[in-house]
Amino acid sequence: MIEAHPASGNTLNTHPVLSARDLRRAYGSTLALDGVNLDIRAGESVAIMGPSGSGKSTLLHTLAGIERPDFGSVLLSTSAATPRDIATLGEKERSKLRRESFGFVFQSGLLIPELTAVENVMMALMINGVPRAAAQEQATQWLGALGLAGMEERRIGQLSGGQAQRVAIARAQVTGARVTFADEPTGALDSATGAEVLSILLNSTVGRGNTLIMVTHDADVAAQCDRVIHLRDGRILAQVAATQGASTQRSAAGDTN
Amino acid sequence: MRTLSLAWLLGKPSRGRRGPLLLTAGAYTLVCALVLIVTAGALSFDRVQNELTGMYQVLAALAVVLLVVPLAVLGAAAARLSARSQDTRLSTVRLLGGTPGLVVGITMLESAATALAGALGGVLLYAAMAPAVGLVHFQGSAIGSAMWLDPRIIALVIAGVVLVAALSGAVGLRKIIVSPLGVRNRTVTPKPRWIRAVVVLGLIICISLVFSVIGSVASLAIMVGVLLTGFAMGIGALNLVGPWAVALIGKAKLKKAKSPAQLLAARMILENPAQAWRQVSGIAMTAFVAVVGGSGAALMNSTGTGMDPNSPDALLATDVMTGVLLTIAVSFISVACSTAITQAAATLDRADLYAGLHKLGMEPAVMERARVGSVMAPVIGMGIGSIIVSAALVFPLAGMAIIFAPLSVAVILLTLVVGVLAVRGAVAMTPVSQTLAH
Ligand SMILES: Nc1ncnc2c1ncn2[C@@H]1O[C@H](COP(=O)(O)OP(=O)(O)OP(=O)(O)O)[C@@H](O)[C@H]1O
Ligand SMILES: [Mg+2]
Repeated sequence: MIEAHPASGNTLNTHPVLSARDLRRAYGSTLALDGVNLDIRAGESVAIMGPSGSGKSTLLHTLAGIERPDFGSVLLSTSAATPRDIATLGEKERSKLRRESFGFVFQSGLLIPELTAVENVMMALMINGVPRAAAQEQATQWLGALGLAGMEERRIGQLSGGQAQRVAIARAQVTGARVTFADEPTGALDSATGAEVLSILLNSTVGRGNTLIMVTHDADVAAQCDRVIHLRDGRILAQVAATQGASTQRSAAGDTN
Repeated sequence: MRTLSLAWLLGKPSRGRRGPLLLTAGAYTLVCALVLIVTAGALSFDRVQNELTGMYQVLAALAVVLLVVPLAVLGAAAARLSARSQDTRLSTVRLLGGTPGLVVGITMLESAATALAGALGGVLLYAAMAPAVGLVHFQGSAIGSAMWLDPRIIALVIAGVVLVAALSGAVGLRKIIVSPLGVRNRTVTPKPRWIRAVVVLGLIICISLVFSVIGSVASLAIMVGVLLTGFAMGIGALNLVGPWAVALIGKAKLKKAKSPAQLLAARMILENPAQAWRQVSGIAMTAFVAVVGGSGAALMNSTGTGMDPNSPDALLATDVMTGVLLTIAVSFISVACSTAITQAAATLDRADLYAGLHKLGMEPAVMERARVGSVMAPVIGMGIGSIIVSAALVFPLAGMAIIFAPLSVAVILLTLVVGVLAVRGAVAMTPVSQTLAH
């Protein structure tokens, strides 16, 4: 299927950062992934849609090295290093990869309730070995940039859902993640707050030349991405370039079909 | 009837709840067995009648008073875990329209059933341990058959354990009853205030006054009263100052934290200093008993070296040492067990968070270090702190013990170290990685 494999050299400067081949994953008799092929180019934003249980989260987790496929490969090529197959890495290496190269924003934030907002963001740097003082400075800057100045010392329980989600975005971006994975990042928010969080998420990822892969149920949210992938029963049905919303300088990366 | 059938339906242990249920029942087993053994030991002093019998009874009463706290903490921890592992299902019952009365009924039934099973196991454990404990020598001879309690007392202990479990199960559920969604929203706990320090200072002055008049009291009954009052005030003071001191430890750790695990551990302590204190209160009191009782016993032993080893005075010295070591042992067993239970509940609570953090690439080892640190930092801090404070309180006594009976002091310190290691072992029983494996 041509649609599933955009020809390399389609666009200049857009090598695939993630390249999945024939991913299969079964839970008992359920095929969560049934032969998925997918290329994601650097600087691209991709939305994954599909009915509940179609394998969206499983695909996201497999691309991010959270779960291993039963079969298939996920090649990651960041910077000049030779591409690595995430699917064959051990648990420790995948953990390291996740905290160093990837950012995550999930529906429920997954922020640590005992920590303050700034400490939650600092934590992402500190587990990568950044000293506390430097981590605090960068975290404070990111919170400020996302409109949370003055809320650094608040505990997560003292923030609104939208604010907490912005803390989660700051945490995902503070390490300079090349690829950010988001699973229904606006799922628990009302539409106005959701739109706000989405634009912050897009600006702080693809807006800075990095990649965003996002699972969503919301067609309006998906329309803001460069490309939308539809899943059903663990297979990619179609991928379409978004017709609206994606910013002009990014639309060149879109798939034409 | 509806309560009964629903309790039966919900009570069937599912896979996820088997662990907590077993832990809870196991805790009640231990509480019941320890209460029976301590009671038997305390009552056994009636065997020998001489001029020191009164003294023995006072000391036995003191040991019992001191053990009430760690045993109560253990029982309460078990009840909380039991209530917590029922939370989710009971919230569902509430959401489906179950009345508060129904929810309370189900909880009390299940808590009582768990406690009853545990307590019966405790009687077996007591029966199994009694011959061994009976070998311990007091007043020059083994306790022996005096370890066997009147069946009526045993029945009373079982009933007590079940009743307390059912009641605390109900109390632990208040939140669900207020709102069906209540359990999901954690409330912020109030911070301990400095005013407590003032009250504690007052209490300490009272205690030293109380103990200073003790020498001039002639009647044994009054002396017992004075002693118990002094100890009760001491325990009260400790419980007031405890959370505050734990919070101080947390703040110091927070300031110094360099690694993610240290930062997280400090915040976990500060999240709920009162709960962190509850876990270590037994340690603080044990350290107090160890220092005060231990120094006294060590000195009595060393001054009695020339004496006939079978004279009542020499026996008393040996017995006080035995008693102190037994009290420390029972206390540490309870503390270690309540730590295991509290940690099981805490790990259960945080399973989702741990899984999420692991997705973000945080190593389970980091989370584990944070969790262990959040328990062990207060344990070690409060342990050392209360050794120093109690040594200062009875300074001449402790100083002399170190000079004249270094071996006995070493034995006491070693017991404390073993106890702390036991707590460390208890913490390790519910590792973070357990919640990640599936
Ligand atoms: N850990 C698991 N154990 C067993 N089955 C699983 C597991 N995770 C996912 N599945 C199954 O795999 C299939 C795909 O699940 P997945 O979570 O990827 O769906 P999804 O598209 O994200 O759904 P939703 O929109 O509801 O989040 C489903 O049938 C699901 O039941
Ligand atoms: Mg999903």
